[in-house]
Amino acid sequence: MKWIIGVVLAAIMGFGVAPKPADRFRGDDEKGKSYRFPWQRAGLTERQAAAHLLSRFTYGATPGEVDAVVKMGLENWFAQQLAAQLPDDSLDRILSRYDALALSNSEVVETYPRNGQVIRMAIRDGVVDKDSVRTDRKEYRQVIQNYMQEKGYKREQELFRQFFCQKILRAAYTHNQLKEVMTDFWFNHFNVSITKNDCAEFIPAYERDVIRPNALGRFNELLLKTAKSPAMLYYLDNFTSSAANNDAMAGRQQAGGKARPRGLNENYAREVMELHTLGVDGGYTQKDVTEAARVLTGWGVYPLGQAARGPQAARLARFSDEQIARRGFVHEGDFFFNENRHDKGAKVVLGHVFPAGGGYEEGVELLGLLAHHPSTARFICHKLAVRFVSDDPPATLVDKMSKTFVEKNGDIRQVLIAMVTSPDFWSPEALREKTKSPFELAIGAVRSLHATIYQPMQLYNWVARMGERKYYYQAPTGFPDKGTYWINTGSLLSRMNFGLALAAGKIPGISVDLLALNNGHEPESAEAALLTYGHIILPERNLDATVKRLTPMLNDPELTRKVEKASANAQAADSTRMDVQTMQGDQSDPMLAQVVGIIIGSPEYQRR
Amino acid sequence: MASRRAFLKSGGLALFGVGLMGGIPAFMAEAAASEKVPSLYKRKRVLVCIFQRGAMDGLMAVTPFTDTYLQAARPTLSLSAVASGRKNPLIDLDGKWGLHPGMKSFEPLFRDGRLAIVHGIGSPNNTRSHFDAQDYMESGTPFNKGTASGWLNRAVGLLGHDAATPFTAVSLTSALPRSFYGDNPSVAISNLQDFAIQLRGNPAAANTAAKSFEDLYDQASAGLLRDTGKESFEAMKMLQQADIRNYRPAAGVMYPNSPLGNSMRQIAQLVKMDVGLEVAFTESNGWDTHFNQGTDNGVFSRNVTDLSNSIAAFWRDLDAYQDDVTVMTMTEFGRTVHQNGTGGTDHGRASCNFILGNHVAGGQVYGVVPALATENLEDGRDLPVTTDFRSVFSAVADAHLRISNDRVLFPDWNGKKAGVMKG
Repeated sequence: MKWIIGVVLAAIMGFGVAPKPADRFRGDDEKGKSYRFPWQRAGLTERQAAAHLLSRFTYGATPGEVDAVVKMGLENWFAQQLAAQLPDDSLDRILSRYDALALSNSEVVETYPRNGQVIRMAIRDGVVDKDSVRTDRKEYRQVIQNYMQEKGYKREQELFRQFFCQKILRAAYTHNQLKEVMTDFWFNHFNVSITKNDCAEFIPAYERDVIRPNALGRFNELLLKTAKSPAMLYYLDNFTSSAANNDAMAGRQQAGGKARPRGLNENYAREVMELHTLGVDGGYTQKDVTEAARVLTGWGVYPLGQAARGPQAARLARFSDEQIARRGFVHEGDFFFNENRHDKGAKVVLGHVFPAGGGYEEGVELLGLLAHHPSTARFICHKLAVRFVSDDPPATLVDKMSKTFVEKNGDIRQVLIAMVTSPDFWSPEALREKTKSPFELAIGAVRSLHATIYQPMQLYNWVARMGERKYYYQAPTGFPDKGTYWINTGSLLSRMNFGLALAAGKIPGISVDLLALNNGHEPESAEAALLTYGHIILPERNLDATVKRLTPMLNDPELTRKVEKASANAQAADSTRMDVQTMQGDQSDPMLAQVVGIIIGSPEYQRR
Repeated sequence: MASRRAFLKSGGLALFGVGLMGGIPAFMAEAAASEKVPSLYKRKRVLVCIFQRGAMDGLMAVTPFTDTYLQAARPTLSLSAVASGRKNPLIDLDGKWGLHPGMKSFEPLFRDGRLAIVHGIGSPNNTRSHFDAQDYMESGTPFNKGTASGWLNRAVGLLGHDAATPFTAVSLTSALPRSFYGDNPSVAISNLQDFAIQLRGNPAAANTAAKSFEDLYDQASAGLLRDTGKESFEAMKMLQQADIRNYRPAAGVMYPNSPLGNSMRQIAQLVKMDVGLEVAFTESNGWDTHFNQGTDNGVFSRNVTDLSNSIAAFWRDLDAYQDDVTVMTMTEFGRTVHQNGTGGTDHGRASCNFILGNHVAGGQVYGVVPALATENLEDGRDLPVTTDFRSVFSAVADAHLRISNDRVLFPDWNGKKAGVMKG
């Protein structure tokens, strides 16, 4: 069966393979020449430099992590993160509890049918009458639920729930932080969205098999693999795109069970140039878009799930992949190039001639051309500099990175090294210049407090409330990576509320032990708590202003009394609700929880 | 309820400041010091947009009931304009068009000339994908997915003045809708009551924390955090002062107890508070009626009843503010002329929309709807799109919000505005 290919492919791509121990800890680049980070020139102490490094390449420093990085050496730490091979045994153990995470696209389609599909199947199987379909009725929903249980189908939302949970857990707990940060960066760069039904169910495998394994690899690989993934093929409609005038064969080839109107669809061709490679000012014309779309006709998805039992699959199954390949078709995992839908005429894109009679390989050639274009180098490097340095990075830095991008053939590790060895990365203009995204804030807070995540969904919901509903950004641009997008009146209040709720242990599924952070020592006063916990949570930051501003208020004897009284009342109210998670959280000192909550919600903590 | 306008009229900024813990809001102080004062405190025109997600069956909402092709195409999904005893009849608007009986609260608004209907409205892009069609309609660029901004966000940028308050553009949704994507200030609030510093089960702790936060943000070194922080606390106090929890609509007004009803109630609150609202957005869900959509009863009927009752309640509740407000509905496409095999309709092309306001040239069904014979249908199956949605949206934005720069509002479009607004 075809799904086996998916599983094998997943194994080859590294999913489920035991991590090898890291063997290259030194800050060496390819030629074995070691590099040094120029933080001293910017007037930083080594600890400040380590804190800066952690703030950019992890989801936030855990308590004591600055010391650990200083001890092992900043360059060594970075090399270790670039190698991304640290064992993650405890994370893997937690993730193994989620049974949907390793499924191939085919298995996903078989196990998690969309709601509408379930109804159609139930009608087909005679479980419900087509005239009695009433999705708003309880009894009716029960019938459908029983039907799904009997068939072993699960709700699509459960697939997404598990997928969201893994995102949170990985970000919070992986030791290979940079790889996870880069996975987020590339996912957002090559954005696909759950809001589009057609591609939604393929998104978990997209992140797992396409993005994460290539997050620190080569750009052209990443580009080609996204282009061939079902998620992208459906999200930007390239699966529908075919030569305008086609032979009769094409009409009968219906992959994925989707009705595919004949004709050119330019969506992907446009976005691959505008958003994925060259950038909007990258020097292409509408003519180039149309021609590129013609080059990419015939790219689609191999029959999956139900369609794998359909007529097209049956026809294809008569041939081995080799035989298929001899006829100009290509079958690789879930990808299928349908020669019959391909436009075989000559094309010219960006002055490059694709002679008549080309097939699949001319699409690969086109993507290679785009990946290595100087405009792409600039566009990608600028975006990386925005992510890691500042919302408005200096041109000198982007130039340096672009040069490396071109010279090193789009090697992402080398581009990152070029960035971090540049003085611009360490300059005073870059320090604390980035605003944390809601996801970075939430995960960072969990890491800062050494919190334990039992159930990640509430955290996911908080991130959404603060303005970043992961995987639901509708437009192919991805979330804008700038402070002005993240910070608005509503989201800012939510950030403060998040800090208070987390520190008070009021986020179900997350447990916080504030005393343990200070080795079990209870601070003597609110002011002492502010100083002690400020330095644990915001290492190497100047907290003078924060402390000065808050001290008079914290020293007000009335305040402590009021907070404790209020909390006692609240606890009494809560305990009648028998909320176990809440009770756990409320065991800590309410004044301490308040102080820590204010630190998390403070302006200083919103920056990195 | 005390509105900002009332405060200003009765003695100016000083009096207003007394009611607030933190003194005069910064944006008001700034405004007082700048030349913009007169325009800032003029009553704002408000455009309220409702997106009906899932694609409303326009032919069932507003039915060309004399069309025999339609009756033949929908043997069990047709309503008559004549009472037959078993089913509630359509509301006969003009001998040709029948309003679905669930929308009887729209009838008086139509008869008064305040409610206009545009039929055959849709997108020039013939995609029948919900996602793509919504994306195109909300970005306002039907052939370009890469447009980063939404048309309503661009509208905010074209208002001709800086956003005076945090509430210039508000979406009553949990996440920012595609229409609001972009660089101009806009905010998504699913519930006005959440616009506060709060901690579940511990309001007193939240109160003390709020004071700390306010002080911290006031002194923040980063401009963005400091300014937004100030705005946040000012906005929060404005809402607290208005006592939003105990909002009482105008006498006799009952909003439907539905997500849309709640959203419309909150938009009315914002309008009446005079907090600078100019563009509001919300959504109505459940229009994708592939299965048993029903006729005078059932899913579709419940949906149009909720839609029309929510809008009608909102309108009555606005009372003295009606002159300032226009409401416009939109949906990504319409549905097939023929009913399908499961008592529903599938994805089609054109639908209809509703525009309500005192400046609307109402009382008419606009647009071109041919006889629904197969040869007149788009692809032989769908109500053809005869009015580009942009010609209606731009007409409303122009007449109501005085936004005439269509090159920015709807780039790639140079059609003619629909004549749905007065003079």
